[in-house]
Amino acid sequence: MNRPANTKGARRERDRRIRINAWASNHRDCALDTIRRMLAQPVATAMTLAVIGIALLLPALLYVAGSNLGQFTDRLEATNRLTVYLAPDISEQSISEVREALDSSELVSSLQFISSEQAAEDFARWSGLGDVLDSLADNPLPAAFVVQPSSADAGALSSLQELLNGLAGVDLIQVDQRWLERLAGISRLIDRTVMTLVVILAFAVLFITGNSIRTLIANRQAEIRVMDLMGATRGYMARPFLYMGIWYGLFGGLMAWLLLQGMLLFLTEPATALLVSYGPQYQLVGLGGTGAAVLLLGSAGLGWLGAKLAVSRHLRALTRS
Amino acid sequence: MIRFDDVSKRYPGGHEALKLVSFDMGRGEMVFLTGRSGAGKSTLLKLLMLSEPLNQGQILVGGRNIHRLPANKIPYYRRRIGVVFQDHQLLFDRSVYDNVALPLQIDGYDKHEAARRVRAALDKVGLLSKEKLNPMTLSGGEQQRIGIARAVVNRPQILLADEPTGNLDPQLAAEIMALFEQFNQIGVSMLIASHDLSLITRLRHRILTLEHGQLIRDEHHPSRSGASPG
Ligand SMILES: Nc1ncnc2c1ncn2[C@@H]1O[C@H](COP(=O)(O)OP(=O)(O)OP(=O)(O)O)[C@@H](O)[C@H]1O
Ligand SMILES: [Mg+2]
Repeated sequence: MNRPANTKGARRERDRRIRINAWASNHRDCALDTIRRMLAQPVATAMTLAVIGIALLLPALLYVAGSNLGQFTDRLEATNRLTVYLAPDISEQSISEVREALDSSELVSSLQFISSEQAAEDFARWSGLGDVLDSLADNPLPAAFVVQPSSADAGALSSLQELLNGLAGVDLIQVDQRWLERLAGISRLIDRTVMTLVVILAFAVLFITGNSIRTLIANRQAEIRVMDLMGATRGYMARPFLYMGIWYGLFGGLMAWLLLQGMLLFLTEPATALLVSYGPQYQLVGLGGTGAAVLLLGSAGLGWLGAKLAVSRHLRALTRS
Repeated sequence: MIRFDDVSKRYPGGHEALKLVSFDMGRGEMVFLTGRSGAGKSTLLKLLMLSEPLNQGQILVGGRNIHRLPANKIPYYRRRIGVVFQDHQLLFDRSVYDNVALPLQIDGYDKHEAARRVRAALDKVGLLSKEKLNPMTLSGGEQQRIGIARAVVNRPQILLADEPTGNLDPQLAAEIMALFEQFNQIGVSMLIASHDLSLITRLRHRILTLEHGQLIRDEHHPSRSGASPG
């Protein structure tokens, strides 16, 4: 009694497996066939990919610029030091007074003295302009105290500033942070710009892929109409176009990445020279593995979405009149 | 199997292609649809394959009102129906083999099983030796036979054919009709539009006649000598 039911179940299971295999092989065929179609029209394909690549290059480039600046601003927290420059003609006596005043203040956590000779040495070392200094009769660099405030609190900092202003022989108080703050400002500006550009250029990529897919659909009208009449589902008819969108996005992203790597290669030498002058810890950084993955996945996703939008608009117009 | 209830069809231009057409055709029946050019034969078949909307009435296939099918069911309905188009609707960007394989691909057939069926269908229409050619390079009659092979390859329950012998010489036309009769004998319901009256009256099947969109005659097994209203 059970047997016919069993064999029926087995057959259904087998049918199901065949169907899944066919579905998978249809995906594979679509993926390969779309690549073949792209290669069959090399000029049109290259132009589309180049446009997508250039559109994506811009935000990628700015992102890299931002992360290079970020190297400096990342150290912002650690360095909220003040440099207290002393008057050029200050006496040893006055220097001791300033040192005592600062040492005894609870606003100061540590103190470092840089004599004008030491300042000249340091300058000569990192600027390479030692000869210029030597040629001057007097050392123009003032002595200074580098003050590490005990608190980063704004109130504490302003009372410290008051204390310093009240001391005789103090010429100029330089907050080391200031240029870093400016840099951080620029860095934030770049971050925002990157975000805006990513949004705008994401739309551009959507339009570019959408438009290319629209042309492809128009070229394959006859095929779509026939497949529709033979009982193809929307998903089946859309599949090759969605793969096309994914490839456009992915290869366009790859194009952007290659362009970016090319530019970085070209910029490495001058950029490294510039960065190293600020200290050996600074180096030109690229997009990195994660950045590249985000670029490629993001652009593939955009290509897919662009294709999806184009397909749902234009397939509907062609089928089931 | 197929039932038309007072079906009317008006094209956007205002032309009334079908007027209150009603008929009933049983499972496994073979029916010819005839009438002069412009009578509405192709329109009637298009309504059956859901490629045109209707304005009035209903069409039941297997008891279901097909023009009420939800959009996601339409593909599966269409897969049960084989269609031979008056204008072939072949794709010239692929081989004869790939044209015939299309319905199987769409239905998710395994490649080996598909190959077996495609070859069997091509063999039946006498085109097995031309499977690798582009249909563009074949004659009108050969193209028509590719369309027939494609329509039967998926073993449909219903076969609709619009002038399937239009481009064929009498000998080949008779062979194709014999092939259709074979399909009919294994249980396929057939609705075949043709204005080749001499051919279809010889075959002694039911004949529906359209005139200006109206069904004016429904003859069962007409005799060779002439029409007897049924
Ligand atoms: N898409 C359309 N838009 C407007 N009118 C149409 C359309 N298709 C067909 N018609 C008109 O509907 C009428 C019936 O056309 P149909 O194609 O059904 O005729 P037919 O019987 O198949 O003719 P034939 O034997 O020449 O193929 C004709 O007058 C035709 O002009
Ligand atoms: Mg017609």
